[in-house]
Amino acid sequence: MEPLIIPQPDTIPVSWGWFQFLLLVTFPLHLLAMNAMLGGLAIGIVQHIRGGTVQKQLAHRIAIALPLVIAFVVNFGVAPLLFVQVLYGQFLYSSSVLMGVFWILIVPILIIAYYGAYFYDFRFTQLGSAGPWVAVLAFSLLVVIGFFFSNNMLLMATPENFGGYFSHKSGTLLSFGQPSFWPRFLHMFFGALAIGGLFVALLGRFRKDVNPELAEHAEQVGLNSFLILTSGNILLGFWYLLSLPKELMMLFMGNHIGATSSLCIALLLVAGALFGAWKKRFWLTFYHAVGLVVVMTFMRSWLRSGYLKDVFTLKELQVVPQYSPMIFFFITLVVGIVCLWWLIKKTRDAFLMEAEPD
Amino acid sequence: MNYPVWYLPETGGGFLIALISILHVFVSHFAVGGGLYLIYAEKKGLKEKSQPILDFTKKHARFFLLVTMVFGSISGVGIWFIIALVNPAATSLLIHNFVFGWAAEWVFFTVEIAAAFVYYYMFGRMDSKTHLKVGWLYFISAWMSLALINGIIGVMLTPGSWAENLDFWTGFFNPSFFPSLVFRTFIALMIAACYGYLSASFTKDRDVRIAMTRFSAKWALVTLLVVMVSGLWYLSVLPGQAHGLVMGKSPTIATVLPWGAAGVLSLLLVMLGAGILRPSFNLRPVACLAMVSALLVMGGFEWTREAARRPYVINEVMYSNGILKKDVADLNSGGYLRKALWVQNNDVSEDNLAQAGQEIFINQCYACHTVGGRNNDIIKATSSMSYRALVSYIQRIHEVRYFMPPFVGTEQEGRALAAYIAGDLHGKDVQEPQEVAGDIAKGPALFEENCSSCHAAEDLVSALDGQGQAEVVESLKTLNEISDEMQPFSGSEEEHEQLATFLGQTEKEEPEDVIDGKDVFKNHCTMCHGVPDMKRRVVNREREEIFTMLGRLEQLQRAMPPFKGNAQEREALADFLESINKGGE
Repeated sequence: MEPLIIPQPDTIPVSWGWFQFLLLVTFPLHLLAMNAMLGGLAIGIVQHIRGGTVQKQLAHRIAIALPLVIAFVVNFGVAPLLFVQVLYGQFLYSSSVLMGVFWILIVPILIIAYYGAYFYDFRFTQLGSAGPWVAVLAFSLLVVIGFFFSNNMLLMATPENFGGYFSHKSGTLLSFGQPSFWPRFLHMFFGALAIGGLFVALLGRFRKDVNPELAEHAEQVGLNSFLILTSGNILLGFWYLLSLPKELMMLFMGNHIGATSSLCIALLLVAGALFGAWKKRFWLTFYHAVGLVVVMTFMRSWLRSGYLKDVFTLKELQVVPQYSPMIFFFITLVVGIVCLWWLIKKTRDAFLMEAEPD
Repeated sequence: MNYPVWYLPETGGGFLIALISILHVFVSHFAVGGGLYLIYAEKKGLKEKSQPILDFTKKHARFFLLVTMVFGSISGVGIWFIIALVNPAATSLLIHNFVFGWAAEWVFFTVEIAAAFVYYYMFGRMDSKTHLKVGWLYFISAWMSLALINGIIGVMLTPGSWAENLDFWTGFFNPSFFPSLVFRTFIALMIAACYGYLSASFTKDRDVRIAMTRFSAKWALVTLLVVMVSGLWYLSVLPGQAHGLVMGKSPTIATVLPWGAAGVLSLLLVMLGAGILRPSFNLRPVACLAMVSALLVMGGFEWTREAARRPYVINEVMYSNGILKKDVADLNSGGYLRKALWVQNNDVSEDNLAQAGQEIFINQCYACHTVGGRNNDIIKATSSMSYRALVSYIQRIHEVRYFMPPFVGTEQEGRALAAYIAGDLHGKDVQEPQEVAGDIAKGPALFEENCSSCHAAEDLVSALDGQGQAEVVESLKTLNEISDEMQPFSGSEEEHEQLATFLGQTEKEEPEDVIDGKDVFKNHCTMCHGVPDMKRRVVNREREEIFTMLGRLEQLQRAMPPFKGNAQEREALADFLESINKGGE
């Protein structure tokens, strides 16, 4: 057996728990935005291709929202990527180099997809029947990015594969050959499409006063998509669970109280969300689904520490204490939230002014 | 050594970083300065009650959004990706040390995005007072992002006492923090003015075009002036070595600075001539020239800043190849390969000399050198050096050329590296130095070991013409007076005499024993290849590329054996193949 190659981690300024907390708070934001982007765009494409007035209106609303959503997918991805580098940098930097060619390709691919999204938005009418194809291109590119991310996240958690470096020095190693890759990727992919349905329904609700027909259609399409895709995704979830190495699978089957409880809570939340979607109760479905995404990030975290536990635990990170930068960050965060609140308020006021009859 | 090296021998990581970062900073500084430009353009429109100027501002805001939100923000993530791929050790150190600085920057980035969207999409849809406030919120957030990043990356060039204590605030408010912040703020405003000038050139309304051209040109000229003054302030706070590199000791900076200066001059001329004096001359090609000039200024600055850190990636802390300065002594005594994680040869022996040497090359030299690539090609850089010269040069590399990191490892590891470069890359003989007797016999060896990394013996003939033995010996002792890039020859008195004797007897090179490449081709290649077949294989290839290929035939095609001729034969064969490529034979 090849000896394991595990780089030395750098020191951290505060206890690892703070970073874990920040990771678990910020990562669901990224996931929700990513799901809205991917699922929303998929539904938009289907609506656009199907045709019909209200369907096209819905596709257009999605196209308008898409660039904004992509901006926040990227932005909300920055923070968890930062915190995961602090906690697991020695693994993530290594796995990124091992698949360097694909990892750096994410940048131009994302730029093309993003400009594609703007093109689809700004030229929605002029593009005519070519519009959906622009959207399909952007969607495909975004899926490719997801594929690369899944590869890296699995590769970083399986350092026993790092020896592959010596035959892939140019950065061409991927991990899709591992048994759990495809169920993992497909579970995330269909989960994203399902949650995207709820985003579409929400988008429709924003237009309720202006276009009730569109709002009703968006809610119907969104909740139906969520119901069907989530039902199927339960099966994919079980496939994923069974594809894990037995020791890791058993974490969720009674060997680890936190992981097992999370799975149970997740199943309850799925049941609640499906019930809500079936009964066409949007907010019930929405809150359950958001809770589900949050719980899923906890499960991912346990899974990652389970993968790495023989070679590394977070407790091993050496702390060289320096708390004042963290206090500075939290003050900045509060100021930032106030600024965002002010922006939303002023925008809402302006919309209300617009809606008021002269 | 703690992390794997992403090895693209002909491309090189440095090129990828330069490509992404120069384009990114050109847009990201626009993202900062452009915020203020939009505010003042809108104010101008409101003050003059000019709807066309407000329309121009809105259109420019859309352009701004498309450029900064898409290319700017994604290429920013791209820099993070590429530096982590090319230099994971430095990235990890900076991320771990300054994590809350980056996190705070992320908060401002979030506000920046939200404000940019509100500014553009609500243009003309909210009262102008609030809309301007949104603009100010955008600009302040963007500037705070710049200030935070400025503090963190400034530490890489001027770490000050952070290099010893790794204290967040000491590093953040490093010696170049304020000059760099002023410099970047004004270069951001200058770039924003150039983008505004570009937008103006696309405006159909003549009055608006002239008004906004003049407006932009005034911005550009005033800010360019402050950029130049603050640039001098920035230069004055650089530590001695970095200052020396910027002032001419770094060849890479010396190459780039004239381009930056040309950019400044060109920008001055364009903005004065086709901005203030004759704004109607702001046609699209002129505006594009202004953009290229601004890119040259920005690119020249970034390139210089990066190169001024050498031989470090984080000054005084970590060398460009990811080796910590504090680890050097241990690695020299215990061996580099034994501590390196991502190598297959942990020891060096006669059997694995070249393989171990290649791993050392990848880990220590590839950070700056390509193999057969355009950027800092190691083959070109060492073409005149023998194995023996390399062995000597490698141990003195940092003393001879300050901007190169010292070789780290045992003497045997140094020989392995020399064997890889001389043997594998150049096809030269790899033989340990033989003890030779007599003054004349030792002279060439001393020259090879001490001088050949920079000079060919024949090149010195004219410089030494007319000098007697004693004068040459004296010159060898005071080489630093001839050029501060040289050091006095450090050999014994006897070796001074031997080297001087050799130099005195060297004559201008006369070509002799010319090897015919065609004969080499007949002897080594014709059993499998004919001339037409070879012509197809080398079509459109440069001579250097052909030469490199000859050194690794077995890698090009598994069925091919390595080229077995000596170095001169390989040179001759490369010449011959190039000649058939150009239509010979």
